[in-house]
Amino acid sequence: MDGKHAKLERNGIAFAMMILFVASLGGIFEIAPLFTIENTVEEAPGMRPYSPLELAGRDIYVREGCYACHSQMIRTLKSDVDRYGHYSLAAESMYDHPHQWGSKRTGPDLARIGQKYSDAWHVAHLKAPREFVQGSVMPGYPFLSETPLDTKPLPASLRALQRAGVPYTDAQIEAAVRDAAAQADVDVDFEDELRESYGENVQVRDFDGQPDRLTEMDALVAYLQMLGTLVDFDQIKTEEIAR
Amino acid sequence: MKPELDETSGQHTTGHEWNGIKELNTPMPKAFSIWLWLSIAVAVLLWLLYPAWPYVTHYTGGILGYSSRIAVTEQVEAGRAQRAETFAPFETMDVAELAEMPNLRETYEPAISVLFRDNCAACHGRDAVGQINFPNLTDDHWLWSGTPEEIEYTLQVGINSSHDDTRYAEMPAFGLNEMLEQPEIKDVIEYVLQISGQEHDAAKAQAGETVFVDNCESCHNEGGIGELENGAPSLIDGAWIYGGTRESLAETLKYGRAGVMPHWSDRLSASEIRQLTLYLLWAGQDGNGD
Repeated sequence: MDGKHAKLERNGIAFAMMILFVASLGGIFEIAPLFTIENTVEEAPGMRPYSPLELAGRDIYVREGCYACHSQMIRTLKSDVDRYGHYSLAAESMYDHPHQWGSKRTGPDLARIGQKYSDAWHVAHLKAPREFVQGSVMPGYPFLSETPLDTKPLPASLRALQRAGVPYTDAQIEAAVRDAAAQADVDVDFEDELRESYGENVQVRDFDGQPDRLTEMDALVAYLQMLGTLVDFDQIKTEEIAR
Repeated sequence: MKPELDETSGQHTTGHEWNGIKELNTPMPKAFSIWLWLSIAVAVLLWLLYPAWPYVTHYTGGILGYSSRIAVTEQVEAGRAQRAETFAPFETMDVAELAEMPNLRETYEPAISVLFRDNCAACHGRDAVGQINFPNLTDDHWLWSGTPEEIEYTLQVGINSSHDDTRYAEMPAFGLNEMLEQPEIKDVIEYVLQISGQEHDAAKAQAGETVFVDNCESCHNEGGIGELENGAPSLIDGAWIYGGTRESLAETLKYGRAGVMPHWSDRLSASEIRQLTLYLLWAGQDGNGD
């Protein structure tokens, strides 16, 4: 024991090199897996960038801090899969910047909440959650139904995501404001264009129960009803996505 | 340099001296270094057994060939097989046969209530009595008939849902779409109040009857008794989904209604849907049948 570290302590250069090596390990462990991201993110048929309305809803989700109580991550645990459905794929958050996995479930996981309940339930529940769910401690968000959705920032949001690697086309960015209104069916007849642009799994209807208005409620419910519904699991074999 | 022995502690010094102060050359305690080397050995073992190191296009898979995703799929399958045993009658029999079986309720109701609370209670309430906008499932007033097969079908395809074969029922927005004039709407509301046995304006109700016959009867049937074929509710049984007051009727007539019941055939197994069907039949057996 004696000799070895004494030798090292007397050789400043070698000692500095070894400190550098040890200190860099943390960085290497964080960065190296990123080089394998190609085989971490699965091929997931149906996965697509969020439509402008869904994206606006996602921004409201983040703004209101929903992630503090709701996770969006069904783990590879039997209890999770039994209760919430198919475990989450990496591909399902590939267009999330940042992801909404969350780390705490005060409320239930929302990764596959889409289409589990009706729009009317979501609207009524978001307005007064504790009246609908026994034992709930969720605060109410009645103002969402009253607040018109501000669609002006959408093109810039899409542009920013495009720079972060989300494959929005320039045409999609240009049409963002129109597409947001079209998805909530507000006097805009661009449903076909919207579906052609984003895919058949875009849900087009009035979400908030106010057909003549485009509100933040429309956006948030559109986002929630989309969650976990994009990927077509019939086309995926377990062996192919085994990790 | 020869290490100098410190007589007080019996240890060697580092050989340095600062103004007469010397430093003992104390090695790491043996227990610590054993623990350290043991940890490293365990880490190496785990690297070999389980997926560990990434390289350019892939990663080391490990000798065991373990995958958390395959493991959880197997566990879920095993759980499913176990439930198939526990709920054996629901696997093989259809709902009509199940409804005839004695003693099923005592055995299975507590277990099925978990399924109900997780999937149905959000809208219909924990005790299935419904709430405003979401119908009571314990009474005898059904939109699409309360036979076991029809309840099962509603659970499978939903109402106004995204399922291809969904049941479809829509109350048109008579006001918003200007299908009826304002006075006509006012009259027909009085008529509906009359036939549902509520306080009403008799003169207007009489005028409203004509409006009702011309516009409402095709779905709600003669005298508003409802029609199970198309899911149009009875207007005379005192059970209201959206409320039976003058104000709520006005809203219904103006904006229309198209309540959505999601379809469950994608989310729940055939057996689970049968379990819930029976659960609802049992819930309907309680109370006074109204």
